[in-house]
Amino acid sequence: MSAKPEINADDMVNIEINGVPMQAAKGSMIIHAADDANIYIPRFCYHKKLPIAANCRMCLVEVEGVPKPLPACATPVMDGMKVLTSSDFAKKAQQGVMEFLLINHPLDCPICDQGGECELQDIAMGYGRSVSRFAEKKRIVKDKNIGPLIATEMTRCIHCTRCIRTIELVGGDKELGGMGRGTKTLIGTYIERSVNSEMSGNVIDVCPVGALTAKPSRFAARAWEMRSTAGVAGHDCIGSNINTHIRNKEVVRVVPAENEKINEVWISDRDRYAYEGLNSDSRLTAPMIKVNGEWVETDWNTALEEVVEGMRANKDNLAGLMSPNVTTEEAFLMQKLLRDMGATSVDHRIGQQDFSDDGQAPLASSLGSSVEALESLDAALLIGSNIRHDQPIASHRLRKAADNGAKVMLLNSIDFDINFPIAEFIITHPDAFAADLAAMVKVALEQNSSATPDGLGALINDVIVTDVHRDIVANLTSANNSSVIIGAQAMALADLSVIRSLAGLLATLTNAQFGYLSRGANSIGASLAGAVPYAGVGGKAVSAGRNAKEMFDSPAAAYMLMNVEPEHDCIDPVQATSALKAADFVVCLTPFASDVMRDYADVLLPTAPYSETSGTFVNAAGTWQRFSANCAPLGETRPAWKVLRVLGNLLDLNGYDYLSSEEVRAEVARDTGQLKLDNTQDWQCPASLGGASGIVRITDLPIYAVDNVVRRADALQQTVHAVSETIAMNQATADKLGVSGAIRVVVAQHDDEISGELCIDARIADDCVLVSSGTVLSSGLGVPYQTITVTKD
Amino acid sequence: MINSMKSVFKSLFLTELLKGMSVTGRYYFRKKFTLFYPEEKTPQSGRFRGLHAQRRYPNGEERCIACKLCEAVCPALAITIESEQREDGSRRTTRYDIDLFKCIYCGFCEEACPVDAIVETRHLEYHFENRGENVMTKEKLLRNGELYEDQIATDRARDAAYR
Amino acid sequence: MQTVNDVLSESVRKEIEHWLTKFPADRRESAVIPALTAAQEQNGGWLTEEIMNAVAEYIGMPRVSVYEVATFYSMFDREPCGRHKINVCTNICCMLMGSDSVVEYIENKLGIKQGETTADGKFTMKIEEECLAACGGGPMMVVDGHYYEKLTPEKIDTILDGLD
Repeated sequence: MSAKPEINADDMVNIEINGVPMQAAKGSMIIHAADDANIYIPRFCYHKKLPIAANCRMCLVEVEGVPKPLPACATPVMDGMKVLTSSDFAKKAQQGVMEFLLINHPLDCPICDQGGECELQDIAMGYGRSVSRFAEKKRIVKDKNIGPLIATEMTRCIHCTRCIRTIELVGGDKELGGMGRGTKTLIGTYIERSVNSEMSGNVIDVCPVGALTAKPSRFAARAWEMRSTAGVAGHDCIGSNINTHIRNKEVVRVVPAENEKINEVWISDRDRYAYEGLNSDSRLTAPMIKVNGEWVETDWNTALEEVVEGMRANKDNLAGLMSPNVTTEEAFLMQKLLRDMGATSVDHRIGQQDFSDDGQAPLASSLGSSVEALESLDAALLIGSNIRHDQPIASHRLRKAADNGAKVMLLNSIDFDINFPIAEFIITHPDAFAADLAAMVKVALEQNSSATPDGLGALINDVIVTDVHRDIVANLTSANNSSVIIGAQAMALADLSVIRSLAGLLATLTNAQFGYLSRGANSIGASLAGAVPYAGVGGKAVSAGRNAKEMFDSPAAAYMLMNVEPEHDCIDPVQATSALKAADFVVCLTPFASDVMRDYADVLLPTAPYSETSGTFVNAAGTWQRFSANCAPLGETRPAWKVLRVLGNLLDLNGYDYLSSEEVRAEVARDTGQLKLDNTQDWQCPASLGGASGIVRITDLPIYAVDNVVRRADALQQTVHAVSETIAMNQATADKLGVSGAIRVVVAQHDDEISGELCIDARIADDCVLVSSGTVLSSGLGVPYQTITVTKD
Repeated sequence: MINSMKSVFKSLFLTELLKGMSVTGRYYFRKKFTLFYPEEKTPQSGRFRGLHAQRRYPNGEERCIACKLCEAVCPALAITIESEQREDGSRRTTRYDIDLFKCIYCGFCEEACPVDAIVETRHLEYHFENRGENVMTKEKLLRNGELYEDQIATDRARDAAYR
Repeated sequence: MQTVNDVLSESVRKEIEHWLTKFPADRRESAVIPALTAAQEQNGGWLTEEIMNAVAEYIGMPRVSVYEVATFYSMFDREPCGRHKINVCTNICCMLMGSDSVVEYIENKLGIKQGETTADGKFTMKIEEECLAACGGGPMMVVDGHYYEKLTPEKIDTILDGLD
């Protein structure tokens, strides 16, 4: 919801600003026309992405024939209007406002983090008087503690209310407000509480003064010390554009870069604060090898020789696993290296357990539209998605759509806290997803005259159709522009292939688009680059190998892991760690070392995280976004593509003479050039729809546990959304299991057992027990969405 | 002809030598202005720019607030500062180094300082015996400040009217 | 957890409903001031955080917006106060007509300062009151919603002594 109205060519008026004649859209404000013509008018409260408030009065201008100065941000243009932005009259008005704004603003620029990049400083220099006539006492405002991410210094506040409007518009919930009145106005939460929006950091960017600054980087650097480098956020499939600020080879801050097509001017807190993980103590700084069970630091040559030896010795039974956060170049080189060695098992789909439709399902699960297009949807059905936490930017887009009347519908096992109106929702047992979708398909088939696909008739005969199903289908069908989207949480479902089939069919029948918001920053790029066991680069036919789950179920002799921590990331952490421990040889290309990793690995190669390497992420919309390294690699760390390239040479393989990641990318682009991202798939009739199968352990992907970098970001781990190490279920389930009232419970699945604190959470569907993935607890359990037993501890 | 006669006359009677000697002779009998350094010293201006010091407030709190303006203004890039939030929430340096080999004693750091923390004292007689001693760390600077505080304070007070 | 019905009495809820009918259905926030007034009356003249939250929930608006309203208007108190609220206008017209001495007189009479409550919980003097739109009759004050103009010490005595 931009503050700027849509421009129609015939709705233009002629105006003149500073003697320059121009056309402006009817109903737009003077400041819009001036901005378009590059005529700067000073402003504080006006922000192009926020609703107009007109309360700072800094943008006063002279309009000929009007006796008083008018605020440019709230004065609509009119035909024949003559505006003067820097006449003596306007200047005097601006100087007056500036003097008033500075009355209560402290002169603490030397200790203010905003100093040097402060709008108030700049505008005071450009438009203020040189001396203040105010000799009385300045007011002092007590600082508020609004959480671990945002530092407040409320004495500096000039009450532009940009933060209030940002939290309401972008955060989705009115968490900040202007309390009191007159000189006693305070911006705050009234009661002491933290601002909990997952997009809260954006208030720092919009704050024109130093009242709201980033807490983790507080006092760490001045504006002029930092070098700003462009990058792409690497924690979700949206690929928000960011500017990474570097001081002394270290990332001190991340701010959004403007990209209307993707993230507009916002980024999520995860993208903003995850950088703390990059500077964590567990960063690996030198190659390490295990000699007689002891870890020793060594040089790259020795370490790589060790890898070559280990891989050659086990070349018949090699497997490779990478996270969906690796760059396209890295994914390509790793699969190429392993396949050139004769290995077939290479995968990046670490969080998936159902691979039965490999080959039929689309190679890369894309959104099926641009990120921007999400906000023009009229109806959307999200399946297995906590969109607000999985892809906050997509959620913001969808929220705009919902505010404009779009009907957003959900099918989930947890009633996630979504901050926009939800038209219909089904919160159910994960095993019932298929039946619910089948019911929707049944309704759609009834309305639609098209023939029932093969074999489906028998399956949907018995499904029970409710009004909710009918409403969902009606909403999808009646909308001009609708979409069925499978979310990141659904990727872990035990019957993903069934869900996929039915959702695809539902989309076709209701004339909706069909897309995915998948896990990781680059799962599309990795898939295109051939990091799947059933297809090579660009979908090229290869001899099939074991997928991300099978490679641990039937263990390989040697593993190559890239940027992945199996104990947290893999779908079956128990199986994965035991297979890795049993393996002859394990090499980890990783920025971080953990104790578990030291236990099973034989060689640790420090590879660069996304801030220290160049590469390409392909976002959900299929946009290839290339980025360069923001800073030099830490210590002996090297970009993974270079490591893999050198390994290729050392293994005497051909075709590893790339001089830059650009060359690698060019090769991937060439091989995938003809490939269009397409989510349509041939109808595959599922064998059965499953059915409620007792108490099931469900999982979710907590926002601040999605990958190895985020898990190490301290400030994010102090927020209310931090990973919670609990075993959660609703009251009814707890009663049924006879554990209600217990403090700790034991969850057993096959031979694995974990014990943890019981948390009663009404958001969870019946018969479901939630143990979030990425937690210590979850690393002690096997595959999620399987039956478990729960007992009192 | 006349010129050559003049030149012969000059060289024959050593007039230029005598002229020179007369200057020497004149100064020989004048009041001496050399000093027996280090027993005697020339008078110093209060604005003399010598060895650096960091000052404290009378209550013992260090003045420096890590605004890094001195670091930014230093034309020789002699100053290195690291800062963080101290436990009490105030902004402080964790590292404040001045490399005296790089420093050109221009006094810009002193000019830039909003809290009169970094100052140049009148002290100019110092030496280094080991490599690395040329870097004035925060501890050394603060010690200097304590050592010369009286003089620093008097000098600043005297100069305040002209600032 | 307390529900809205626990916090807001039936009569208050009825009152809010009455006001809600006066505004369009999509402008429910418009009723927040009468709603807070009714709720404040129920609670003996002041608003607790709980009441404000309940009003927010009842009307269906963000809590922060209710706090904003409650902190903005001087007729809402967020701390316990006396049975009678005395608002003396101290804005310019009344000040020129001698409101300072009116404030001083009441302060001395009741033995409290502006913003304080008498020990017996009878009177509260509001901390500061801006123009109450009776400039013609300055100095003036509002006690429990009634306007008293052209104040003199005698008049103040009669007014305040007449209250129980």
